[in-house]
Amino acid sequence: MERNELRPLLRQKFPQERALLLPVLHFLQNEIGYLPDWALEIVGWHLHIPASEVYGAATSYTELRLNPSGRHLVRVCNGLSCWSNGGKELLEHLAAQLGLQPGGTTPDDRVTLEETPCAFLCPMAPAVEIDARWWGRATPDSIASQIRELA
Amino acid sequence: MTEAHPDPLARWSELQLAARQRLEANTSGKTRIAVQVGHCSQAVGAAEIADTLRDNMAARSDADLVVTGCDGACFNAPQVIVTLPSGEARRYGRVTRQDVGDIVDALALQGRAPRPCLGTKSEPTTPEPNRDVESFFAAQRRLVMAQCGRNDPANIEEYIANGGYRGLARAMAAATEQVIELVLEAGLLGRGGAYFPAARKWQGARSANLTPRYIVANAEEGEPGIFKDRHIMEGDPHRLLEGMIIAAYAVSASSGYIYINAEANLSAQRMETAIEQVRNLGLIGPDILGSGFDVDIAIRRGAGGYVCGEETTLLNTMQGDRREPRLRPPFPTESGLFHKPTVINNVETLVNLPFLLDGGAPTFGQIGLPSAKGTKLICLSGLVQRPGLAEVPIGTTLRQIIYDIGGGPLPGRGIGIIAVGGPSSGVLPVSELDTPLRPGMLHPSGVVMGAGGVTVLDESVSVIDVVRRLAAYNAAESCGKCTPCREGTPRMVEALDRLASGHGSPNDLEELRYLAEIVGAASLCGLGQMSGGPINSALHFFGEELARLTGF
Repeated sequence: MERNELRPLLRQKFPQERALLLPVLHFLQNEIGYLPDWALEIVGWHLHIPASEVYGAATSYTELRLNPSGRHLVRVCNGLSCWSNGGKELLEHLAAQLGLQPGGTTPDDRVTLEETPCAFLCPMAPAVEIDARWWGRATPDSIASQIRELA
Repeated sequence: MTEAHPDPLARWSELQLAARQRLEANTSGKTRIAVQVGHCSQAVGAAEIADTLRDNMAARSDADLVVTGCDGACFNAPQVIVTLPSGEARRYGRVTRQDVGDIVDALALQGRAPRPCLGTKSEPTTPEPNRDVESFFAAQRRLVMAQCGRNDPANIEEYIANGGYRGLARAMAAATEQVIELVLEAGLLGRGGAYFPAARKWQGARSANLTPRYIVANAEEGEPGIFKDRHIMEGDPHRLLEGMIIAAYAVSASSGYIYINAEANLSAQRMETAIEQVRNLGLIGPDILGSGFDVDIAIRRGAGGYVCGEETTLLNTMQGDRREPRLRPPFPTESGLFHKPTVINNVETLVNLPFLLDGGAPTFGQIGLPSAKGTKLICLSGLVQRPGLAEVPIGTTLRQIIYDIGGGPLPGRGIGIIAVGGPSSGVLPVSELDTPLRPGMLHPSGVVMGAGGVTVLDESVSVIDVVRRLAAYNAAESCGKCTPCREGTPRMVEALDRLASGHGSPNDLEELRYLAEIVGAASLCGLGQMSGGPINSALHFFGEELARLTGF
């Protein structure tokens, strides 16, 4: 999305109500993949909220990203069930495969690998998310081969 | 005082008759194939199973494919339930796409039961545990989950034909005071973790004498290890709506919001469909069932974080503010959403209401403990044979939950630690297996039932690793408003790190004790208040193991 497209889009989709800040931020994260500074500023104009407050709200929610990830986002659940049920080994395996530390992105910007607290798939442990799709009862081999196929 | 109105039940009866007739016309003589697709089972391919079945069955007029929610037997997912016209039902567990052909072929054998493949399917990489589904269900008592995995969540007619919304009609045939009185006498306690009498909140909001009033269903469920509300919204969304409308009627609220976790997309989708259906039938909107009462219901989404489930934080989030708790008093019942009286009830609390109002109060009173009646949903996970979502009478022991329902630990493993409640509760050793799960302290060191999580860890898991993990979560989730929590929770992690790395000293244990007390005493919300739970219970039950880490 281009900067000059955002304001007309917000006008069209969202009434100018402060309570809509979170729905707007969710919408933008889905559209852009993260929340760039320029988008936060425009959201503030639209909803009549100071940019500092928009930024303050955006940074306080763990689901909102202020930095872009790689082209593909892989998240390994580190909740108690997953961790004790193979999640720890799975994360180590993927980190080794990709040659990075959890939280890092491959140099070619292909994959970002992260840990995440509880995916609420505890009975399906261990759980891994690849590009917004969760996989339960994951094995290092099944996940590693899927990641190899990502463009 | 709202006048009692005689009409709602008659109006409801008309709705039910119409629903029954349409269902009868559409489903009579047909086999029903129900695929259980929920947040959990999606992760093991349930949606693909449904798609494949749909393709395979496209040409068949003698069978219906229905996508339901899950019945809680997560260990057996993906599940397909085939119900023949005779009423005989067969359960297929751990279904793979290769099994779909078998299921459809078996239908061709007119009237004969398809070959059940229960328990025979599993990925080659997982050891085959005992998947005795009957035992999983036999040890439970199902009230609020009775229809999860059976009803088609996208079909309001099934819900109404089975008696759905009759509780609402009965409530509306009575005065609001009578509804409040009934729920108060039944002793329904909030199921989100605090176990505060639900109807007391209603009374609080009514006595605030300010309008409009709001009702909020707390479906944030951001607590690690808890997955019960998702199951309900995915499997029986109309039960939640009915409960919400009853609560809205009791407090004379004009608007209701369902606050759904940012990542619970399937829950939001199914609730969205259900809201549209009740609106079309006039069960929300103006003059519901001819009672003269109006309420509308909408969905709001969270944005991640344990603390969002805390009720004043949830309100801030809904107003577009930072996720921080508010100082109380005033309580939300006096000054809540947009500073108006607001009742916030947990999803599990609300879904008890249809049953209570539909003549279920005497039965409800016979289940559970005298001090805490009814059932509790328990999210059972970890190294047990049958992890999943169970519904048990309050007061059921950990042993019954882990062994009778969960089938005990996986073969060759022994139970080491049981993490109860969530990140802010505590850890118990195997010697405490006979602890009944109930509101209040399960152990004076700070272990509580919380929202109902039971995570079983085997002997190879060290207590320091568990406590550190829970403490790190609390530190990361601390919103930063209260200094003791913001500064104290990372200090806890540092002390635990020193112990885990072998560089700890007895001073670290002292510091942990001290921090647990300070942070607990000086924080506004449950996150800080309960953050000492894992530490205190670990020091109590696993003190020797921790002391060994100090090298003294």
